[in-house]
Amino acid sequence: MKPVYIAGAGMTQFGRSEWTLMQLASVASLAALHHANLGETPVDGVVVANMGAARVNRQTALGSALVDQLALYPATAESVENGPASGASAFKVGVQAIASGMADVVLVTGVERMRVVNGLEGTDFVASLSHPEAEYIYGVTLPALAGMFARLVMDKFGVERKHLAMVAIKNHENAAKNPYAHIRQTVTMEGILTLPEAAVNNPLIADPLHMFDCCPVSDGAASLVLVSEDVAAKLGGPRVRVAGIGQATDTHAVHEREDPTDLKSVRLAAGTAFDRAGLKPQDVDVVELHDAFTILEIAESEASGFFPRGEGHKALERGETRLDGVLPINPSGGLKAKGHPVGATGVAQLVELVWQLRGECDARQVKDAKVAYACNFGGFGNNVVASVLQREA
Amino acid sequence: MSDKVYGMKCNSCGTVSYPKHAVCPNCRNETFEEVAIGGEGKVLTYTDVYALAIEYDTRYLRLAIVELDDGIRVTGQLLDEEPKLGMRVKTILGTVRQSGETAIQGLQFVSV
Repeated sequence: MKPVYIAGAGMTQFGRSEWTLMQLASVASLAALHHANLGETPVDGVVVANMGAARVNRQTALGSALVDQLALYPATAESVENGPASGASAFKVGVQAIASGMADVVLVTGVERMRVVNGLEGTDFVASLSHPEAEYIYGVTLPALAGMFARLVMDKFGVERKHLAMVAIKNHENAAKNPYAHIRQTVTMEGILTLPEAAVNNPLIADPLHMFDCCPVSDGAASLVLVSEDVAAKLGGPRVRVAGIGQATDTHAVHEREDPTDLKSVRLAAGTAFDRAGLKPQDVDVVELHDAFTILEIAESEASGFFPRGEGHKALERGETRLDGVLPINPSGGLKAKGHPVGATGVAQLVELVWQLRGECDARQVKDAKVAYACNFGGFGNNVVASVLQREA
Repeated sequence: MSDKVYGMKCNSCGTVSYPKHAVCPNCRNETFEEVAIGGEGKVLTYTDVYALAIEYDTRYLRLAIVELDDGIRVTGQLLDEEPKLGMRVKTILGTVRQSGETAIQGLQFVSV
């Protein structure tokens, strides 16, 4: 495989947007293209990640539509729908195109515009990724799967509600330093857990998970420009290399997994990504995890190999995953506070990491970050893409 | 609309799987017989979910994963008022979702 570099990264503000799907995608794409500063070098291909547009925006074939918006014809175009892992899957497709020699420059853009429908419709379109006969018909939604998972993990490993709140507090604090974040408001342990009014501020969503354990529903887009070694050399500037990608699947119905508290697909995807990178979890300086629910940040931090099983909440409690800790997790604010436009998320995680590796994150910059890791968690763990990025001197 | 919930029993290795797959997850054999899923078991985990999908006009749904005594796990609706981890339940068949004119039948759990 040929080496692949990320030459540019950009995104829109996450939150509620009045822009159309293609406006969101175009703004993020142009930001990434300007960041890469390609000059006369043509874009060979475009890959668009999205989950719900066919249903909630009544638009399909987004890859072709984005090529048209950006007047990149006759560039190749693809659309990738892979549930909540669509973003990193599209990234993988782009990386493969360059690694195989079929392309020298690929634009990867993730986009979702899901605030256009009401909450029930929004929750339902995401729930349609669950098993149709064994889960969906019972009213299973993603929060329900997360609630059942959280109850098991909390019972087994002694994770308490205060630990879940610590994830939220940390990620809201980080998002307050991120101008692109959906929610830029800090929260306190008193406000969401201990004061009597916390019960009103922070209602149940899927017992034991409360509102501040769940990501918001966001519109937004994020974009990366991938280039071959030749193009990277021509462009100059900071060099961020795609060191390794791993992906793994698991059973569709969560109840069929031997141990439903074990995020096996995360473990396998992370293992492959690190093997391919020739690096270890201990080499990582900055991390973006798929904290659609607070419990997932804790569980993924273990399954990715950063902490032993059942110890993630202890590392969190010790402050190790804070912006000033030994292993900052979700400096962007994570899905929890930066927001979660589903198809954009996997790309947005990598956008943050590229900026971190280039030292462009201002108030939330992790000092001297050289190696970065992202986990994009699809389904409820039935399809996970892990990526390792490395800054070359 | 079927009046039971079915899994599959592999004709080669005898493994029972629920839900069905086209290939046996244990031995990759491709022929099966249908077996009705249900009976008694214990609650492995549960939640009261307030973030509901379309077609529900209730405030919340109580969902659970139950491990049946024959080792098969199932997801369904828990009807008990005081759910607890590990509690003994049995499966019944009831309407689990109303989709337009169609009342979808599925597994519900009641305490024994």
